[in-house]
Amino acid sequence: MQLLEVRKLHFNPAVPPVLDGVSLRIEPGQTVGLCGPGASGKSLLLKILCGLVRPEGGRVEIDGLDLCTCSSAALRAVQSRIGMLFQNNALFDSMTVADNVSFPLRQRAIQQGIRLDEAYVRQLVHERLRAVGLADHADKLPSQLSGGQRKRVALARAVMTRPELIIYDEPTAGLDPVTTARIYDLLRRERDETGATVIIVSSDVEALMSFAPRMVMLYRGCLRYDGPTDAMANSPDPVVRQFVRGELEGPL
Amino acid sequence: MALVAALGRAALALFREAGGISLLGIYVALCLLRGRIDWAELRRNLYKMGVISVPIVVLTAFFTGGIMVIQSGIFVRRFGAYGLLGWGAGYAVFREVGPILIGLMFSGRVGANNTAELGTMTVTEQIDGLRALAIDPLPYLIVPRVVAMMIAMFCLLIIGDAIAIGGGMIMSNLLLDVEFSTFYVSFADNVKLWDLWVGLIKGVFFGLCIALTSCHFGTSVRGGAAGVGRAVNDAVVAAALLIMVSDNLLTMVLR
Repeated sequence: MQLLEVRKLHFNPAVPPVLDGVSLRIEPGQTVGLCGPGASGKSLLLKILCGLVRPEGGRVEIDGLDLCTCSSAALRAVQSRIGMLFQNNALFDSMTVADNVSFPLRQRAIQQGIRLDEAYVRQLVHERLRAVGLADHADKLPSQLSGGQRKRVALARAVMTRPELIIYDEPTAGLDPVTTARIYDLLRRERDETGATVIIVSSDVEALMSFAPRMVMLYRGCLRYDGPTDAMANSPDPVVRQFVRGELEGPL
Repeated sequence: MALVAALGRAALALFREAGGISLLGIYVALCLLRGRIDWAELRRNLYKMGVISVPIVVLTAFFTGGIMVIQSGIFVRRFGAYGLLGWGAGYAVFREVGPILIGLMFSGRVGANNTAELGTMTVTEQIDGLRALAIDPLPYLIVPRVVAMMIAMFCLLIIGDAIAIGGGMIMSNLLLDVEFSTFYVSFADNVKLWDLWVGLIKGVFFGLCIALTSCHFGTSVRGGAAGVGRAVNDAVVAAALLIMVSDNLLTMVLR
């Protein structure tokens, strides 16, 4: 994946959040942390970036292809290069952990008319599950796992096909500090191994800032900050400063 | 004024849902014409929707045949028209009672389950998850379910019709002392193969109605668990309404 570029994105649905004139340029291999108060449009922006929602205005370009106007087939071709970890994990209830993790691989093989070697798939699934510490849970259903375990399965599935762009939506929401640290450790290892471009949304700003060298902040659908993580706490914008420092007094 | 506004809102909602169901039907037809269907999902759904429904359909059908005989028993006894029992039960079960009762039972069991499953998948972002994995939910999730429900209704009706006739035969023997052979001769001499086909055509059409309504309401759920509950309710009501309306139309066409 060469470049991800968002230009003057505009979306004003009947129900908030909205997006108003968001522009963003992400170079290959970059890790970008996306933050902002609730209902500021973070998850919506992620869904637009991977082609799940079509905005009313603006452009989302990946390698020069506009996701807003391209054909369904072209969109699916781009989506097959993106991995997404959803806020609610989006694991398929009716499938076992192993089936969930192998699902993207099997579907891609079907789409490309390739016959997969079953032993190879099993081996790969085992490796991915071992990497997230769940090798012994392959035959369980998602409902039989804890929140942190489900999140790790979703992570294993998101990176199964080694995508070039990985999008994480609240990867540690509702998890205890130790599990949160483990998840971030996994994300770091995955990033270092693959060199993929990473966009990550999290309400845990402290952990997010320790993970991403570049931060983007959305506030009421508008881009409020886009720059290095180190400079964020001293931003001249009082909204950004108050949000990062977690102060009670201020414009927020 | 408030009444007019409420009527307007209701009419708009009705047309919105009808449009959504029709559009889904067109998309499914286009997918089928292009051969876009996930065969593994079709097999899984045929088992889940068809095979698992056999016991409840058998039970419903057996008593349906019995009820036909019990209801007509008073008049059959009064006029001594025992020779009409097989024809009456067969004609009514094949053409009307079988497809409608099994259709409603199928809607309550399979349609409601389908709406709840798709609705839960929608609110827990599983359908978005499929799309993010570059998988079109239509040929993967929807088309196999529509085809499975149509095939399941066809097969379940054949089983149900046979059981209902058997139930009617047993009940007429137990309650009215009608010999099995008398019932059978009346049935075989008067009921035509076309009567069976009329019911089967209706059943397949009802299967299509149940599938489209349940898939439409399931995939358009908004608002978490409460939304799923509302969707299941709407889907069952809409399917029952469509079954009744289409039964009237099909009865007029298939004479």
